[in-house]
Amino acid sequence: MDFNFTQDENNFRKEIKDWLSKNLSQRISNKVKKFQRLDKNDYEEFMKALSAKGWLAVNWPKEHGGTGWSNTQKHIFEEEIVKAGAPRIVPFGLNMLGPVLMEFGNEKQKKYYLPRILNCDDWWAQGYSEPGSGSDLASLRTKAVDHGDHYIVNGQKTWTTLGQFANKIFCLVKTDTNCKPQNGISFLLIDIDSPGIEVRPIITLDGEHEVNEVWLKDVKVPKENLLGEENKGWTYAKYLLTHERTGIAGVPNSKSAINHLKVIANKTYKNGKPLIQDPLFSSQIAELEIDLKAMEIFNLRAISSAESGKAPVMESSLLKIKGSIIRQKTSDLLRKAIGPQALPYISEQFDEGWNQETIGPEYAGPLAKQYFIYRKISIYGGSNEIQKNIVAKSEFRM
Amino acid sequence: MHFNLSEERKMLKESCDRLLNDHYTQYKNHHEVSSSEIGFNKNFWEECSEIGMLSALISPNFNGLGGTGEDIMIVFELIGKHLVVEPFLSSGILSITSLTNSKDIETSVLDEISSASKIYAFGHSEVDTRYDETHIKTKANYKNDAVFLTGQKSFVLNGDFADKLICTARFSGNDFDQNGFGLYEIDKTHCDIRSYNTIDGYRAAELNFSEIPAKELCKNSDAYNALLETLYAGAFALSAESIGAMEVCFNMTLEYLKTREQFGKPIGSFQALQHRMVDVMIEIEQAKSAVMLAAGTYEADKDTKYKNISAAKNLVGRAGKLVAEECIQLHGGIAMTWEYNLHNYAKRLVMIDHLMGDSDHHLEKFKLYSNY
Repeated sequence: MDFNFTQDENNFRKEIKDWLSKNLSQRISNKVKKFQRLDKNDYEEFMKALSAKGWLAVNWPKEHGGTGWSNTQKHIFEEEIVKAGAPRIVPFGLNMLGPVLMEFGNEKQKKYYLPRILNCDDWWAQGYSEPGSGSDLASLRTKAVDHGDHYIVNGQKTWTTLGQFANKIFCLVKTDTNCKPQNGISFLLIDIDSPGIEVRPIITLDGEHEVNEVWLKDVKVPKENLLGEENKGWTYAKYLLTHERTGIAGVPNSKSAINHLKVIANKTYKNGKPLIQDPLFSSQIAELEIDLKAMEIFNLRAISSAESGKAPVMESSLLKIKGSIIRQKTSDLLRKAIGPQALPYISEQFDEGWNQETIGPEYAGPLAKQYFIYRKISIYGGSNEIQKNIVAKSEFRM
Repeated sequence: MHFNLSEERKMLKESCDRLLNDHYTQYKNHHEVSSSEIGFNKNFWEECSEIGMLSALISPNFNGLGGTGEDIMIVFELIGKHLVVEPFLSSGILSITSLTNSKDIETSVLDEISSASKIYAFGHSEVDTRYDETHIKTKANYKNDAVFLTGQKSFVLNGDFADKLICTARFSGNDFDQNGFGLYEIDKTHCDIRSYNTIDGYRAAELNFSEIPAKELCKNSDAYNALLETLYAGAFALSAESIGAMEVCFNMTLEYLKTREQFGKPIGSFQALQHRMVDVMIEIEQAKSAVMLAAGTYEADKDTKYKNISAAKNLVGRAGKLVAEECIQLHGGIAMTWEYNLHNYAKRLVMIDHLMGDSDHHLEKFKLYSNY
């Protein structure tokens, strides 16, 4: 056993840190740290800077313009961008579509789409979930009917994250309804500008617009936009789940959230003493910190076994579950740490440039809102219950 | 960064595991062993010594072959896996650590331990000490060049059969002071001993003594440091032991879920039970990770070392209880019987939280060493 990063890895971390300090604008990191709303340009400014440096496609092999980094390097990179307060790298094109294109796309598609993802020319959205198909994704009903050289697509997609910024959407659609649901699904690449597509906002419980509904009415999609083979879409969709998902536990995010929690617990008071000195409250923080430290090691164990070629499928599911519990628990304690200061809700506070006085300390504003929206973590990306089904099926063989 | 064992340690693990598999009859005999005259199997203890399982707990500086966090973790995980009741904790880790942290200890003393020719026991707890580190009422009385002890020690593992006893006693200050106490070696023939079995199949003793001759091992800050090292070594070893026992419980339960049928199918096909098993699995992986971290920083500075051991012992305490309770529940009625082996593991898992500081104690210590 060796818990230390190598000298090369430490140098790598320093290189990332130095670059971020020069190339991530203060304006954007301030917005991220204050939980302010990011617009399309904020995301793209950072992603284009990474792209110019050659660091955007961390999960891609070098031949396609990726970094070719090891899992450990990716982990270090993820840690540093979270620490620096960078916006998240929008994953739909880079981490979801990209690997599927590389594995199953034809040469023409790869040549056209991959560089456009890499250069931030396209913003992809994910068209998986439907109103009637959440955990039971294969039951989806959006239909693509064969019209010779094109399909006509009708249906509705939902929970389309940042779809308001997208110009493209990859969709799972039904191309055969006379078979087992999984065997009649195809994977289509669709222009959001196509006639018949409408993107409507969904406002989530925190009052924010991040996700959307996408309505498709008689949308014409050329056959050349079919990825891989017709009716094999389920295989492609599942491919992503077995693909490396080292970041799934959200260790860097939880680390910075717990640090934030400790800072706040030092600034708020109970019985005239900083809350962090209250045995009841500090015990809850400490227990969380112990769980997080253990999960960090668990995550590194999974990374290191992935490095030796073993796909950490079971570990990914376990880490997703534990990671969501820890992140939610942290947001729960953050909300509790500020007591009644959690109540005020001034939506404008989360707009860039808002400079009025906050009610209570500035850090209090987003905490209740964050708590509520973080309930999503155990629901999205395969709910925790679905993850448990996956583990039971693969590990228990029952 | 990697989490693999070196070739040498893999060999250690394999040879110990083989011996335990072949020669250790823990199953129905678990409580019979502790009910025997000496409370453990002496022949087996000697076999453990022969294959180096005791030397693995001792540093090369004292003529041992190991003594690192990784060595201790390997040995104690196997002890947990096979539910070994031989005195690995008392005559092993606790006595070894207190002796090697005392002053001017001769290597031959450690040789006696590793060769199984002498059994040592470590007595610190008193009847109302609970898990306090320095709550010591037993008195040490210095007269001329000699020292004499008066008091009582409780829950001394293997205290009845040990050849030598190491215990803490105070010569000045208040009951809780970090200064003013020492570590002493006493002879059990001078003690009034009441021995008993523990609920998890071990042997312990209550010792009473009055003005008995003792040998000073160390005192004041040396004794305080040696005591902390000893308590933390014990907490760490128990944490590793817990991992081994948790894994057995998990595997037994999984096997049972596959074979036990109700409503015409294996009960493991029911989602409500599968999901609980996954929760158990997550906590075992978490506990394992915490123990690995404690092993990896066992040789680090004291604050880091103690912080990570406290984290591990806290997590293991919580996870061990979860595993014990869930595995009993998932089994159902059969787990309530003496006949079925699960209870031995479940008891050990829960009782580990009653030794060397429970999860609450170590949560407080974690806060202390993390500067909360």
